[in-house]
Amino acid sequence: MSATAESLADLDPREFDSEAFQQDPFPIYKRLRDYHPVYHDRFHNRWILSRYWDIDGAFQDNESFDRAVYKPDGPYEFGSRHVFGPNILEYGNSNEHRRLRNIVAGQFVGQKLTDFLPMIDQISQEVIDRFIDDGEVELVTQFSSQVPIRVISNMLGLPREDEDTFVEWYQLLIAGLGFGGDHMARGIKARNDMWDYIDPMIRERSKNPGEDLLSRICVAELDGSRMSVEEIKGFVALLLAAGGDTTDKAIANMWYHMLYTRPDQLSDVLENPALWENVFTEMMRYDPVVHAQFRHTTREIPLHGHVIPERAGVILYLGAGNRDERVFKDPDTFDVHRDDLHMGRENRSGRYKDGKPGHLGFGIGQHFCMGYAMARQESAIACTRLMEAIRNPRPKFAEHPGISSPSIDSGGFRSPQELWMEFDRP
Amino acid sequence: MKVKIDYEKCYKSGECYYNHPELFRMGDEGYPVVLVDQISDDATRRHAEEAIEVCPAVAITLED
Repeated sequence: MSATAESLADLDPREFDSEAFQQDPFPIYKRLRDYHPVYHDRFHNRWILSRYWDIDGAFQDNESFDRAVYKPDGPYEFGSRHVFGPNILEYGNSNEHRRLRNIVAGQFVGQKLTDFLPMIDQISQEVIDRFIDDGEVELVTQFSSQVPIRVISNMLGLPREDEDTFVEWYQLLIAGLGFGGDHMARGIKARNDMWDYIDPMIRERSKNPGEDLLSRICVAELDGSRMSVEEIKGFVALLLAAGGDTTDKAIANMWYHMLYTRPDQLSDVLENPALWENVFTEMMRYDPVVHAQFRHTTREIPLHGHVIPERAGVILYLGAGNRDERVFKDPDTFDVHRDDLHMGRENRSGRYKDGKPGHLGFGIGQHFCMGYAMARQESAIACTRLMEAIRNPRPKFAEHPGISSPSIDSGGFRSPQELWMEFDRP
Repeated sequence: MKVKIDYEKCYKSGECYYNHPELFRMGDEGYPVVLVDQISDDATRRHAEEAIEVCPAVAITLED
């Protein structure tokens, strides 16, 4: 082993807490894949998997890798570990998880989703109309963080006249999760205002349910009883974060890559808007919104000459698996025409008829993102509408600080903080 | 009563085996394998009906 290889292999776990890692985790991901496919991080008391097929294996094996936050042998108050309160993800691999998931999962796929597409279209158009005469737009505040939250708000059946207020609360809430300090205080206040607003609606729709998603959640029964008002709020919060925030950031990332990473491929997309789906897929591989998933082992796992003990915390770096050179050619190149990646709609199984591997950005298996189809459609529709409305889109500033996240290891969502674009009118 | 899978229609979404592991498992290359030869009880039948409902490929049927 050369000196260089030795220094690359020598990984200080405090590097995971560094600013450099949040900004550009990929060099460390590569060192993990090459030298430590099973890395025991004693400093953070966890194990790390980073190669594509190892992560796929952990996702597929729910018996051995549990998603539950609780420890079977310890006191745990349900909901205590989440800012938003109790939510579905805490149920791990249980029947409760499966049933809660099924209450809403059907709303985001198939015919139900198709029924909502005209609404996504209309909302995108309304959002674009607000800045179309300006000749420039800050895509994060004015576009990407506007569309998905309005769509979710509509699906929940909240009154359209309150949408602007709802967007404002949402933006404060998300900023509070991400950047701390004053933002945090404003975020908590926004959350409380939002709960005060939604509380009477929950009580009303529990009594007189309609066809909307909020009503469905209110009347859904688990073992013969309904969820409590607090549990319903936790569920709504999860939809806002998982269904709003992730898609918001996906759209911002797609435009970032078209404006800065591959401006040469933007012209291909301008010619053929169907390519927005490829932009979405390749973004979900190259630098997805979520980079890390967490599991607890339920038994000893022998792997690559190591043994991960029972009840160990394991972090799966999807962002690292997606750049695995054992699976993808030139993994560090963003390419919308990539032919070694399954480009179409994702599957829960991660197995495709074209025989190509898919990105890991939605996870796989039991906890596969239930909003996968909606995220893709919503992103593609919003981007296509914007592109049709403008000509000659270009970055306002030559330099950009790039995509980053508050904290990859605490599940921080990756996106540009600001993204200014100039454009002409047709 | 038997559960049948149309492997031409199936696109390996995985919905059946992730939602109903008592009735299906993931087989080679992601295609589902039916675990129960003959359905005789109501609980299993309900699982089968739910699986039919959620299959995005409409690839599952119940046959006598």
